[in-house]
Amino acid sequence: MTARCLAIVMVAIMAFGSIGCSGAQVQPTDPQRDPWEAYNRKVHAFNMGVDRYLMKPVAKGYDTVMPDAPQRGVRNFFRNLSYPVTFLNLLLQGKPEAAMDATGRFLVNTTLGLGGFFDVASKGGLPRFDEDMGQTLAVWGWTESRYLVMPFIGPYTVRDLLGRSFYGYFHPISYMVREYDAYYLIAIDLVTLRAELLSFDIQIQNASDPYVLVRDVYLQNREFKIYDGEPPAPDYDALLEDF
Amino acid sequence: MNKLLITLLSTALSASLLANPGPDNREPAVIVEETTTALLDELDSRRAEFTENPALLREMVNRDMLRLIDTDYSARLILGRAGRGMETEKMDDFASAMSDHLLSRYADGLLSFEADTRPEVLPLRGNNSEKLTRVRTRFKLDDGGFVPVDFAFRKTEQGWKAFDVTIEGISYVLTYRNQISPLVAKDGIEKVTADIRAGNLLLED
Repeated sequence: MTARCLAIVMVAIMAFGSIGCSGAQVQPTDPQRDPWEAYNRKVHAFNMGVDRYLMKPVAKGYDTVMPDAPQRGVRNFFRNLSYPVTFLNLLLQGKPEAAMDATGRFLVNTTLGLGGFFDVASKGGLPRFDEDMGQTLAVWGWTESRYLVMPFIGPYTVRDLLGRSFYGYFHPISYMVREYDAYYLIAIDLVTLRAELLSFDIQIQNASDPYVLVRDVYLQNREFKIYDGEPPAPDYDALLEDF
Repeated sequence: MNKLLITLLSTALSASLLANPGPDNREPAVIVEETTTALLDELDSRRAEFTENPALLREMVNRDMLRLIDTDYSARLILGRAGRGMETEKMDDFASAMSDHLLSRYADGLLSFEADTRPEVLPLRGNNSEKLTRVRTRFKLDDGGFVPVDFAFRKTEQGWKAFDVTIEGISYVLTYRNQISPLVAKDGIEKVTADIRAGNLLLED
Protein backbone atom coordinates (compact mmCIF):
# COMPACT_ATOMS: atom_id res chain seq x y z
CA MET A 1 0.00 0.00 0.00
CA THR A 2 2.59 2.56 1.07
CA ALA A 3 5.03 1.42 -1.57
CA ARG A 4 2.38 1.95 -4.22
CA CYS A 5 1.52 5.42 -2.87
CA LEU A 6 5.17 6.35 -2.98
CA ALA A 7 5.51 5.09 -6.54
CA ILE A 8 2.52 7.19 -7.62
CA VAL A 9 3.98 10.26 -5.94
CA MET A 10 7.34 9.65 -7.61
CA VAL A 11 5.73 9.41 -11.03
CA ALA A 12 3.70 12.54 -10.30
CA ILE A 13 6.83 14.45 -9.36
CA MET A 14 8.69 13.36 -12.46
CA ALA A 15 5.77 14.29 -14.71
CA PHE A 16 4.96 17.53 -12.94
CA GLY A 17 8.60 18.43 -12.68
CA SER A 18 9.35 17.86 -16.33
CA ILE A 19 6.37 19.97 -17.38
CA GLY A 20 6.96 22.72 -14.85
CA CYS A 21 10.64 23.10 -15.46
CA SER A 22 10.99 22.32 -19.14
CA GLY A 23 13.34 24.76 -20.80
CA ALA A 24 14.92 25.93 -17.54
CA GLN A 25 18.52 24.70 -17.71
CA VAL A 26 20.27 24.33 -14.38
CA GLN A 27 24.02 24.79 -14.42
CA PRO A 28 25.46 21.68 -12.71
CA THR A 29 27.17 22.69 -9.46
CA ASP A 30 28.88 19.39 -8.60
CA PRO A 31 28.75 16.99 -11.55
CA GLN A 32 30.98 14.48 -9.80
CA ARG A 33 29.02 13.90 -6.60
CA ASP A 34 25.64 15.10 -7.85
CA PRO A 35 25.19 14.05 -11.48
CA TRP A 36 21.39 13.87 -11.02
CA GLU A 37 21.17 17.47 -9.86
CA ALA A 38 18.31 18.44 -12.18
CA TYR A 39 16.11 15.63 -10.83
CA ASN A 40 17.30 16.16 -7.26
CA ARG A 41 16.40 19.84 -7.35
CA LYS A 42 12.84 18.98 -8.35
CA VAL A 43 12.41 16.54 -5.48
CA HIS A 44 14.03 19.08 -3.14
CA ALA A 45 11.46 21.67 -4.22
CA PHE A 46 8.66 19.15 -3.67
CA ASN A 47 10.02 18.32 -0.19
CA MET A 48 10.24 22.01 0.69
CA GLY A 49 6.56 22.31 -0.24
CA VAL A 50 5.60 19.32 1.92
CA ASP A 51 7.68 20.80 4.70
CA ARG A 52 6.17 24.24 4.41
CA TYR A 53 2.54 23.15 4.41
CA LEU A 54 2.67 20.00 6.52
CA MET A 55 5.80 19.08 8.47
CA LYS A 56 6.86 22.50 9.66
CA PRO A 57 3.46 23.67 10.95
CA VAL A 58 2.97 20.40 12.84
CA ALA A 59 6.52 20.51 14.24
CA LYS A 60 6.05 24.15 15.26
CA GLY A 61 2.81 23.32 17.03
CA TYR A 62 4.51 20.47 18.86
CA ASP A 63 7.44 22.73 19.74
CA THR A 64 5.07 25.37 21.15
CA VAL A 65 2.99 22.96 23.21
CA MET A 66 5.74 20.70 24.49
CA PRO A 67 8.36 22.05 26.92
CA ASP A 68 12.03 21.44 26.11
CA ALA A 69 12.69 18.70 28.67
CA PRO A 70 10.02 16.22 27.50
CA GLN A 71 10.98 17.05 23.89
CA ARG A 72 14.51 15.95 24.65
CA GLY A 73 13.07 12.88 26.36
CA VAL A 74 11.16 11.81 23.26
CA ARG A 75 14.26 12.24 21.09
CA ASN A 76 16.28 10.20 23.62
CA PHE A 77 13.62 7.49 23.44
CA PHE A 78 13.85 7.20 19.65
CA ARG A 79 17.64 7.36 19.70
CA ASN A 80 17.75 4.57 22.27
CA LEU A 81 15.52 2.47 20.01
CA SER A 82 18.10 2.50 17.24
CA TYR A 83 20.37 0.33 19.41
CA PRO A 84 19.91 -2.93 17.43
CA VAL A 85 20.99 -1.09 14.25
CA THR A 86 23.97 0.52 15.98
CA PHE A 87 25.05 -2.75 17.61
CA LEU A 88 24.87 -4.76 14.40
CA ASN A 89 26.80 -2.17 12.41
CA LEU A 90 29.50 -1.75 15.04
CA LEU A 91 30.05 -5.50 14.77
CA LEU A 92 30.04 -5.37 10.97
CA GLN A 93 32.65 -2.62 11.11
CA GLY A 94 34.85 -4.74 13.36
CA LYS A 95 34.39 -2.77 16.57
CA PRO A 96 33.30 -5.38 19.12
CA GLU A 97 34.37 -3.27 22.11
CA ALA A 98 32.28 -0.34 20.96
CA ALA A 99 29.40 -2.77 20.38
CA MET A 100 29.68 -3.84 24.02
CA ASP A 101 29.70 -0.21 25.14
CA ALA A 102 26.62 0.46 23.03
CA THR A 103 24.94 -2.49 24.71
CA GLY A 104 25.85 -1.06 28.12
CA ARG A 105 24.37 2.27 27.09
CA PHE A 106 21.17 0.66 25.90
CA LEU A 107 20.74 -1.35 29.11
CA VAL A 108 21.46 1.65 31.35
CA ASN A 109 19.15 3.97 29.47
CA THR A 110 16.36 1.42 29.13
CA THR A 111 16.35 0.65 32.86
CA LEU A 112 17.68 3.63 34.83
CA GLY A 113 16.67 5.98 32.03
CA LEU A 114 13.06 4.75 32.26
CA GLY A 115 12.67 3.20 28.82
CA GLY A 116 15.19 5.50 27.19
CA PHE A 117 13.55 8.84 27.95
CA PHE A 118 16.52 9.90 30.04
CA ASP A 119 20.00 9.62 28.57
CA VAL A 120 21.67 8.79 31.87
CA ALA A 121 24.47 6.95 30.07
CA SER A 122 25.77 10.12 28.38
CA LYS A 123 25.70 11.97 31.69
CA GLY A 124 27.71 9.12 33.17
CA GLY A 125 30.31 9.40 30.43
CA LEU A 126 29.27 6.49 28.17
CA PRO A 127 29.61 7.92 24.67
CA ARG A 128 26.79 7.80 22.14
CA PHE A 129 27.43 5.79 18.96
CA ASP A 130 25.94 6.74 15.66
CA GLU A 131 26.25 3.88 13.16
CA ASP A 132 24.11 2.59 10.34
CA MET A 133 24.40 0.29 7.32
CA GLY A 134 25.29 3.16 4.98
CA GLN A 135 28.33 3.94 7.14
CA THR A 136 29.25 0.25 7.22
CA LEU A 137 29.15 0.07 3.41
CA ALA A 138 31.44 3.12 3.34
CA VAL A 139 33.86 1.52 5.79
CA TRP A 140 33.84 -1.58 3.57
CA GLY A 141 35.08 0.54 0.70
CA TRP A 142 32.08 2.22 -0.94
CA THR A 143 33.41 5.68 -0.17
CA GLU A 144 32.03 7.66 -3.11
CA SER A 145 28.33 7.56 -3.78
CA ARG A 146 25.96 9.72 -5.78
CA TYR A 147 23.77 12.25 -4.02
CA LEU A 148 20.08 11.43 -4.24
CA VAL A 149 17.15 13.41 -2.84
CA MET A 150 14.15 11.22 -1.96
CA PRO A 151 10.55 12.42 -1.73
CA PHE A 152 9.50 13.04 1.89
CA ILE A 153 12.61 11.54 3.50
CA GLY A 154 15.09 13.98 1.97
CA PRO A 155 18.84 13.86 1.30
CA TYR A 156 20.59 10.52 0.75
CA THR A 157 23.30 8.96 -1.28
CA VAL A 158 22.61 5.75 -3.24
CA ARG A 159 24.76 3.92 -0.70
CA ASP A 160 22.95 5.34 2.31
CA LEU A 161 19.51 4.70 0.84
CA LEU A 162 20.46 1.09 0.22
CA GLY A 163 21.89 0.95 3.74
CA ARG A 164 18.66 2.30 5.13
CA SER A 165 16.57 -0.33 3.44
CA PHE A 166 18.81 -3.02 4.99
CA TYR A 167 19.05 -1.67 8.48
CA GLY A 168 15.46 -0.51 8.50
CA TYR A 169 14.58 -4.17 8.82
CA PHE A 170 16.35 -4.41 12.17
CA HIS A 171 14.92 -1.19 13.55
CA PRO A 172 12.30 -1.69 16.29
CA ILE A 173 10.07 0.93 14.66
CA SER A 174 9.93 -0.86 11.33
CA TYR A 175 9.25 -4.09 13.22
CA MET A 176 6.29 -2.39 14.95
CA VAL A 177 5.05 -1.09 11.60
CA ARG A 178 5.40 -4.52 9.96
CA GLU A 179 3.76 -6.46 12.75
CA TYR A 180 1.27 -4.02 14.24
CA ASP A 181 0.75 -1.33 11.60
CA ALA A 182 2.09 1.18 14.13
CA TYR A 183 2.54 3.98 11.59
CA TYR A 184 2.00 6.58 14.28
CA LEU A 185 5.52 5.77 15.55
CA ILE A 186 7.01 6.94 12.25
CA ALA A 187 4.90 10.10 12.40
CA ILE A 188 6.04 10.90 15.96
CA ASP A 189 9.66 10.21 15.08
CA LEU A 190 9.52 12.52 12.06
CA VAL A 191 7.66 15.36 13.77
CA THR A 192 9.94 15.39 16.80
CA LEU A 193 13.01 15.21 14.59
CA ARG A 194 11.71 18.10 12.50
CA ALA A 195 11.07 20.12 15.68
CA GLU A 196 14.69 19.58 16.66
CA LEU A 197 15.78 21.09 13.34
CA LEU A 198 13.53 24.18 13.48
CA SER A 199 16.40 26.44 14.52
CA PHE A 200 18.20 25.73 11.22
CA ASP A 201 15.35 27.03 9.07
CA ILE A 202 16.59 30.58 9.08
CA GLN A 203 19.98 29.58 7.66
CA ILE A 204 18.43 27.48 4.92
CA GLN A 205 15.98 30.24 3.99
CA ASN A 206 18.70 32.85 3.86
CA ALA A 207 21.16 30.80 1.86
CA SER A 208 21.72 32.01 -1.67
CA ASP A 209 21.23 28.42 -2.85
CA PRO A 210 19.36 26.39 -0.20
CA TYR A 211 19.61 23.21 -2.27
CA VAL A 212 23.41 23.39 -2.32
CA LEU A 213 23.53 24.27 1.37
CA VAL A 214 21.47 21.23 2.34
CA ARG A 215 23.59 19.01 0.08
CA ASP A 216 26.84 20.37 1.52
CA VAL A 217 25.74 19.99 5.10
CA TYR A 218 24.41 16.48 4.49
CA LEU A 219 27.45 15.17 2.60
CA GLN A 220 30.02 16.74 4.94
CA ASN A 221 28.23 15.55 8.05
CA ARG A 222 27.87 12.05 6.55
CA GLU A 223 31.63 11.92 5.89
CA PHE A 224 32.19 13.06 9.47
CA LYS A 225 30.07 10.17 10.78
CA ILE A 226 31.66 7.59 8.49
CA TYR A 227 35.07 8.50 9.91
CA ASP A 228 33.68 8.54 13.47
CA GLY A 229 34.32 12.24 13.87
CA GLU A 230 37.79 12.28 12.33
CA PRO A 231 37.46 12.74 8.58
CA PRO A 232 40.55 13.67 6.58
CA ALA A 233 41.01 17.43 6.22
CA PRO A 234 39.71 19.02 3.02
CA ASP A 235 42.35 19.40 0.33
CA TYR A 236 42.84 23.14 0.77
CA ASP A 237 45.70 23.26 -1.73
CA ALA A 238 43.36 21.93 -4.41
CA LEU A 239 40.92 24.75 -3.63
CA LEU A 240 43.71 27.24 -4.22
CA GLU A 241 44.93 25.61 -7.41
CA ASP A 242 41.50 26.31 -8.73
CA PHE A 243 42.19 29.96 -7.92
CA MET B 1 61.43 71.06 23.04
CA ASN B 2 63.65 68.01 23.09
CA LYS B 3 61.54 66.46 25.80
CA LEU B 4 58.39 66.96 23.79
CA LEU B 5 60.00 65.37 20.76
CA ILE B 6 61.11 62.35 22.74
CA THR B 7 57.68 61.96 24.26
CA LEU B 8 56.06 62.17 20.85
CA LEU B 9 58.52 59.74 19.35
CA SER B 10 58.17 57.23 22.14
CA THR B 11 54.38 57.39 22.00
CA ALA B 12 54.47 56.80 18.29
CA LEU B 13 56.91 53.95 18.77
CA SER B 14 54.90 52.22 21.48
CA ALA B 15 51.74 52.66 19.44
CA SER B 16 53.34 50.98 16.46
CA LEU B 17 54.70 48.25 18.71
CA LEU B 18 51.23 47.62 20.07
CA ALA B 19 49.84 47.46 16.59
CA ASN B 20 52.52 44.99 15.49
CA PRO B 21 53.39 42.90 18.51
CA GLY B 22 55.74 40.74 16.43
CA PRO B 23 55.32 37.09 15.53
CA ASP B 24 53.15 34.97 17.79
CA ASN B 25 55.23 31.94 18.75
CA ARG B 26 52.48 29.98 20.42
CA GLU B 27 51.44 26.55 19.17
CA PRO B 28 47.95 26.38 17.59
CA ALA B 29 46.48 24.29 20.43
CA VAL B 30 47.73 26.84 22.95
CA ILE B 31 46.27 29.70 20.92
CA VAL B 32 42.84 28.03 20.86
CA GLU B 33 42.92 27.15 24.53
CA GLU B 34 44.11 30.56 25.75
CA THR B 35 41.86 32.59 23.48
CA THR B 36 38.65 30.73 24.22
CA THR B 37 39.35 30.54 27.95
CA ALA B 38 40.07 34.27 28.15
CA LEU B 39 36.97 35.13 26.12
CA LEU B 40 34.65 32.89 28.11
CA ASP B 41 36.07 34.16 31.42
CA GLU B 42 35.44 37.72 30.33
CA LEU B 43 31.97 36.78 29.13
CA ASP B 44 31.09 35.10 32.42
CA SER B 45 32.12 38.07 34.50
CA ARG B 46 30.38 40.68 32.31
CA ARG B 47 27.42 38.69 30.98
CA ALA B 48 24.77 41.22 32.07
CA GLU B 49 26.64 44.06 30.43
CA PHE B 50 27.10 42.13 27.17
CA THR B 51 23.50 40.94 27.08
CA GLU B 52 22.39 44.56 27.26
CA ASN B 53 24.90 45.65 24.65
CA PRO B 54 25.92 42.81 22.31
CA ALA B 55 27.94 45.25 20.19
CA LEU B 56 30.41 45.52 23.07
CA LEU B 57 31.05 41.78 22.99
CA ARG B 58 31.44 41.85 19.21
CA GLU B 59 34.06 44.55 19.61
CA MET B 60 35.93 42.51 22.16
CA VAL B 61 35.81 39.33 20.06
CA ASN B 62 37.02 41.31 17.06
CA ARG B 63 39.89 42.84 19.01
CA ASP B 64 41.07 39.53 20.46
CA MET B 65 40.50 37.21 17.53
CA LEU B 66 41.00 39.06 14.27
CA ARG B 67 44.79 38.93 14.52
CA LEU B 68 44.60 35.16 14.95
CA ILE B 69 42.79 34.64 11.65
CA ASP B 70 44.32 34.51 8.20
CA THR B 71 41.41 36.38 6.64
CA ASP B 72 43.16 36.76 3.30
CA TYR B 73 43.82 33.04 2.89
CA SER B 74 40.24 32.15 3.92
CA ALA B 75 38.89 34.61 1.39
CA ARG B 76 41.00 33.15 -1.39
CA LEU B 77 39.82 29.64 -0.54
CA ILE B 78 36.20 30.76 -0.51
CA LEU B 79 36.40 32.68 -3.78
CA GLY B 80 38.24 29.98 -5.68
CA ARG B 81 38.04 30.52 -9.41
CA ALA B 82 35.73 33.52 -8.96
CA GLY B 83 38.62 35.42 -7.38
CA ARG B 84 41.08 34.83 -10.18
CA GLY B 85 42.84 38.05 -11.20
CA MET B 86 40.83 40.10 -8.72
CA GLU B 87 42.27 43.45 -7.57
CA THR B 88 43.92 43.23 -4.16
CA GLU B 89 41.76 46.02 -2.78
CA LYS B 90 38.49 44.28 -3.64
CA MET B 91 39.81 41.01 -2.28
CA ASP B 92 40.84 42.68 1.01
CA ASP B 93 37.46 44.34 1.29
CA PHE B 94 35.71 41.00 0.77
CA ALA B 95 38.05 39.29 3.27
CA SER B 96 37.33 41.85 5.96
CA ALA B 97 33.56 41.73 5.34
CA MET B 98 33.67 37.94 5.74
CA SER B 99 35.70 38.02 8.95
CA ASP B 100 33.55 40.79 10.46
CA HIS B 101 30.47 38.77 9.67
CA LEU B 102 31.91 35.56 11.04
CA LEU B 103 33.21 37.15 14.24
CA SER B 104 29.99 38.96 15.04
CA ARG B 105 28.04 35.73 14.50
CA TYR B 106 30.57 34.02 16.77
CA ALA B 107 30.12 36.70 19.44
CA ASP B 108 26.33 36.33 19.30
CA GLY B 109 26.73 32.57 19.53
CA LEU B 110 28.95 32.91 22.59
CA LEU B 111 26.32 35.03 24.30
CA SER B 112 23.68 32.33 23.88
CA PHE B 113 26.12 29.67 25.12
CA GLU B 114 25.12 29.36 28.77
CA ALA B 115 27.03 26.31 29.92
CA ASP B 116 30.03 27.25 32.02
CA THR B 117 32.21 24.49 30.63
CA ARG B 118 35.37 25.20 28.69
CA PRO B 119 36.17 23.52 25.40
CA GLU B 120 38.38 20.51 25.72
CA VAL B 121 41.39 20.42 23.37
CA LEU B 122 41.87 16.90 22.02
CA PRO B 123 45.20 15.31 21.07
CA LEU B 124 46.61 15.86 17.59
CA ARG B 125 45.43 13.40 14.92
CA GLY B 126 45.62 12.96 11.18
CA ASN B 127 47.91 14.75 8.77
CA ASN B 128 49.75 17.63 10.38
CA SER B 129 52.78 19.34 8.92
CA GLU B 130 55.13 22.22 9.67
CA LYS B 131 52.83 24.49 7.70
CA LEU B 132 49.33 23.13 8.26
CA THR B 133 47.62 21.60 11.26
CA ARG B 134 44.23 21.05 12.83
CA VAL B 135 43.27 21.70 16.43
CA ARG B 136 40.40 19.46 17.52
CA THR B 137 38.21 20.61 20.37
CA ARG B 138 34.83 19.68 21.76
CA PHE B 139 32.23 21.53 23.76
CA LYS B 140 30.25 19.58 26.30
CA LEU B 141 26.49 20.14 26.24
CA ASP B 142 24.05 20.09 29.15
CA ASP B 143 22.61 16.73 28.09
CA GLY B 144 26.02 15.02 28.19
CA GLY B 145 26.60 15.14 24.42
CA PHE B 146 29.47 16.92 22.68
CA VAL B 147 29.78 19.36 19.81
CA PRO B 148 33.09 18.83 18.04
CA VAL B 149 34.71 22.00 16.70
CA ASP B 150 37.97 21.84 14.72
CA PHE B 151 40.18 24.75 13.73
CA ALA B 152 42.50 24.57 10.72
CA PHE B 153 45.73 26.55 11.17
CA ARG B 154 48.51 27.51 8.79
CA LYS B 155 51.92 28.96 9.53
CA THR B 156 52.37 32.57 8.44
CA GLU B 157 55.14 35.11 9.02
CA GLN B 158 53.22 36.35 12.06
CA GLY B 159 52.94 32.85 13.51
CA TRP B 160 50.14 30.28 13.33
CA LYS B 161 46.82 31.62 12.11
CA ALA B 162 43.41 29.96 11.80
CA PHE B 163 41.69 29.92 8.42
CA ASP B 164 38.86 27.39 8.71
CA VAL B 165 36.51 26.15 11.39
CA THR B 166 34.63 22.85 11.17
CA ILE B 167 31.58 22.15 13.33
CA GLU B 168 30.36 18.55 13.36
CA GLY B 169 32.27 17.97 10.18
CA ILE B 170 30.82 20.99 8.36
CA SER B 171 33.57 23.29 7.12
CA TYR B 172 33.05 27.03 7.06
CA VAL B 173 35.33 27.49 4.05
CA LEU B 174 33.81 24.69 1.95
CA THR B 175 30.22 25.61 2.73
CA TYR B 176 30.69 29.33 2.08
CA ARG B 177 32.68 28.62 -1.04
CA ASN B 178 29.81 26.72 -2.63
CA GLN B 179 27.37 29.50 -1.77
CA ILE B 180 29.49 32.52 -2.54
CA SER B 181 31.66 31.72 -5.54
CA PRO B 182 28.65 31.30 -7.91
CA LEU B 183 27.24 34.59 -6.60
CA VAL B 184 30.52 36.38 -7.24
CA ALA B 185 30.63 34.96 -10.74
CA LYS B 186 27.07 36.18 -11.32
CA ASP B 187 26.78 39.52 -9.48
CA GLY B 188 30.40 40.62 -9.06
CA ILE B 189 32.48 40.89 -5.91
CA GLU B 190 31.37 44.43 -4.97
CA LYS B 191 27.71 43.50 -4.70
CA VAL B 192 28.49 40.32 -2.76
CA THR B 193 30.75 42.21 -0.33
CA ALA B 194 28.05 44.85 0.17
CA ASP B 195 25.42 42.14 0.78
CA ILE B 196 27.60 40.45 3.38
CA ARG B 197 28.12 43.78 5.16
CA ALA B 198 24.39 44.49 5.05
CA GLY B 199 23.70 41.10 6.62
CA ASN B 200 21.80 39.81 3.59
CA LEU B 201 23.90 36.67 3.36
CA LEU B 202 23.61 34.59 6.50
CA LEU B 203 24.62 30.99 6.24
CA GLU B 204 26.31 29.33 9.12
CA ASP B 205 25.06 28.69 12.60
